[in-house]
Amino acid sequence: MTTDHEAVIGLEIHVQLNCPTKMFCDCPNRAGDEPNQNTCPICLWLPGNLPRFSREALEKATLACLALNCDIQKESAFDQKVYYYPDLPKGYQLSQFHHPLAKNGWLNITDADGGTKKIRIQKIHMEEDVARLVHEKEGRTSVSLVDFNRAGAPLVEIVTQPDVRTPHQAMEFLRCLRSQLRYSGSSDCSMEQGTMRVDANVSLRPRGSDQMNTKVEIKNMNSIRHVGDAIAYEITRQANSLKAGEPIVLHTRLWDPDNRVTTAMRGKFEGPCVPDPSVPRIVVDDAWLEEMRRALPEMPDKKAARFMEQYGLTAEEASMMSAERELSEYFEAVVEHKTSPRLAAQWISGQLLPLLKERNAVLPESAVTPECFAGLLLMLAREEINANAAKEVLKRLQESGDTPEEIVAQCGFRQVSEAGELEALVDRVLAENPSAVENFRKGASKAMGFLMGQAMQASGGKANPRLLKEIMTRKLQ
Amino acid sequence: MDSKIFSYIDPSPPAPADGGALSGKRAAVQSSISVKGWPTEAGSRALEGFIALEDATVVERLRAAGAILAGNTHTGELGFGLAGDTASQALKNGLVDVTLMTDTLGEGRVAAASAGVFGFKPSYGRVSRFGLVGLVPSMDCCSILGKSLDDLAAFLEAVEGHDDRDPSMGDTPLEAFRMGRGSSPGSERSSLSAGVVVQSLESLNAGGRKVFEEALRRVEKAGIALREVQCEDFDLFRIVHNVIGSVEASSSCGKFDGVRYGHCAAGAKNWNEMYLRSRGESFGRVLKAYLFQGAYFQFENYPAFERACSLRAKLAQAGRKWLDGVDMMILPTRCAAAHDRPAETVEQVYDIFPLTLPANVTGQPALTLPGFLPTSAGDLGLQLVGPAGGDRLLLEAAGRLYPRTEEAR
Ligand SMILES: [Zn+2]
Repeated sequence: MTTDHEAVIGLEIHVQLNCPTKMFCDCPNRAGDEPNQNTCPICLWLPGNLPRFSREALEKATLACLALNCDIQKESAFDQKVYYYPDLPKGYQLSQFHHPLAKNGWLNITDADGGTKKIRIQKIHMEEDVARLVHEKEGRTSVSLVDFNRAGAPLVEIVTQPDVRTPHQAMEFLRCLRSQLRYSGSSDCSMEQGTMRVDANVSLRPRGSDQMNTKVEIKNMNSIRHVGDAIAYEITRQANSLKAGEPIVLHTRLWDPDNRVTTAMRGKFEGPCVPDPSVPRIVVDDAWLEEMRRALPEMPDKKAARFMEQYGLTAEEASMMSAERELSEYFEAVVEHKTSPRLAAQWISGQLLPLLKERNAVLPESAVTPECFAGLLLMLAREEINANAAKEVLKRLQESGDTPEEIVAQCGFRQVSEAGELEALVDRVLAENPSAVENFRKGASKAMGFLMGQAMQASGGKANPRLLKEIMTRKLQ
Repeated sequence: MDSKIFSYIDPSPPAPADGGALSGKRAAVQSSISVKGWPTEAGSRALEGFIALEDATVVERLRAAGAILAGNTHTGELGFGLAGDTASQALKNGLVDVTLMTDTLGEGRVAAASAGVFGFKPSYGRVSRFGLVGLVPSMDCCSILGKSLDDLAAFLEAVEGHDDRDPSMGDTPLEAFRMGRGSSPGSERSSLSAGVVVQSLESLNAGGRKVFEEALRRVEKAGIALREVQCEDFDLFRIVHNVIGSVEASSSCGKFDGVRYGHCAAGAKNWNEMYLRSRGESFGRVLKAYLFQGAYFQFENYPAFERACSLRAKLAQAGRKWLDGVDMMILPTRCAAAHDRPAETVEQVYDIFPLTLPANVTGQPALTLPGFLPTSAGDLGLQLVGPAGGDRLLLEAAGRLYPRTEEAR
């Protein structure tokens, strides 16, 4: 991009709510089943059927809106978005166009320079998902198959104000949004699984201007990284067009992740939206809204602040431990066993999470229960084992399901802290390495590290490092 | 039984439930009302061969009350207008005691009036629409046609009431409306009054006015006080119904794509062509014109539709105001000018129903009574329109107009 232009980016995010049923019938809202298994006369829109709006969808949608700091509207209503396409069995999609569920939300993100930037959310509305089309060949004939399992699945669409300026901000916003929504328990927000889908509207304007130029919509990004890449590509593409004097026309482009470019797609037909006469208007009262507010868990910002206050974590540790709801709950469960909170935070982020990642495991199903992990940290704190041994025990915990005490006993990891034993060990090492001792005495402090390493090795890794160093230092003087 | 009257006859009706309120009563429903396992084609190629998977709530309830369901009567395409409709003939020919029809513009009441029988459109939301194949969800209603007020009351009692499967049914408990005919003794109103809709008389010719005046004298004699009511915007009902009705119909018909059921055109090269041809071959001319009109408002003239919606709210308000000092409104059901030849345009369809469609616009209950307005063009039907929820009040008022012995004819 030329430095005299800036990008104006708005995001539209579809998020599938994790309700047990679809939005207007009792069919399971579940991905991965055999095609057309989760269907009924309502979601197939057979004649004579009427939509029955799910209360649960309203509750989850409301939690999502509250998690994004929106004002829930006292009254909202469904409209029919009219268009004809095989993924829509009734010729219109039920969506809240004229009267959305919520307005005026926001999220604060951390910008590239470390500052805070507020991204405003214009509105959030509920809508039903459409069927999935599968294009296949039967012999040499192309066929399009329709899977109605997804038809009628509950969605919310989140529309931001055009406040985003850079690919970085877009990605930060999406990460923050995903974290908030997962926290609220309303959605899994997986771009890979398609439970979170992002479209970006990108336009350029002279820096400092407040005009809104023709925007281009980009679709088909299936990771947050791709959203950033696609926006970056699109900004460059538009800047080049402007430089070449070509006009920007309103259209939609698809991100091609393999070639890392966007390509124009066929013009999309935008149908009208008329009020739906069958789904009753949604009217929420204050008492119900208060109930929903209470149902919303403590969100990451507040939780991080509490972690600093209550457990004395640093800002970085607190933000790390509160980033995901499951992680934060794990952390607090570990701390409940009277471990040092900071030690717990450091060992969770520094050891446990990388280990799980390496093993392709996830926290909730891990064999390392909070109790086990706390047991390990307590032994470490009591100097019954040293850090090296603790890392080894952790690996075995994840594999075996034994308690840390059992593993330490079985494998002889118990730390050597007996002074006499350590003194003998140090004497032996110093005797075997006279040149290193000589070097240390001449002022080469590096030699201390070498000697410590030799001693630790000689102990089979079990020596209490603090005592070992004390003795070593004393003997070298 | 006559296949000219029935589109489907149940070859072996199940034994009726014992001891129900409708025990031994014979009934028919239009082919736009779902009966499990029966063809439910609603008079349209768009539903050709469609077999209902479930009973409509009204069907389930009338069977549970002991009625025998004889078969389906023919209906105008998707219940719009009366071309080809045979519901009232089944009654007139004595084949059944009661028939159920979908009522979008007043089809049930006009058919009943022409056939000289009773026709009742309940308040919107009082009788479940689940299982009704209709066109205009905000105005469609299941109407009841019968030869006696007792049958009407008994069938209403059997089918009315909350149904989880119809989201537009209000939460008002039915008991709040339990007054009048058939309810507990002592609940009857001592005096009743009716407002004569002055504007409705404009549609009558001289002969029609004369019989209407005579009918009003009979009503007064039966103890119902009359008062003239000026309904200035009466003409607007038709326009509002026409705009909103066509828009809703256009959406409702979106599901008829010929893919999952119904007529599918052969040999189309792609799906767009398949949709266009299937729909083009499925719908009749008048309905097609109606759908085009609805699509026009949806796509090209949305402000006109919005205006119609706000007018509808004003008309509903006016309707309540007109009923301020009286228990019900009184007007003819049909106008003398209504022609017998089949309607060929949307306007000609609307020409038949200017006096019945207001109740569909506002959701009020309405009842047509035979024998009061005999003309050379047949019985015009005397129509009572009550406040929303005042269904039983209408039946009670009608009861006063018929000495018990000469009720039906
Ligand atoms: Zn379903």
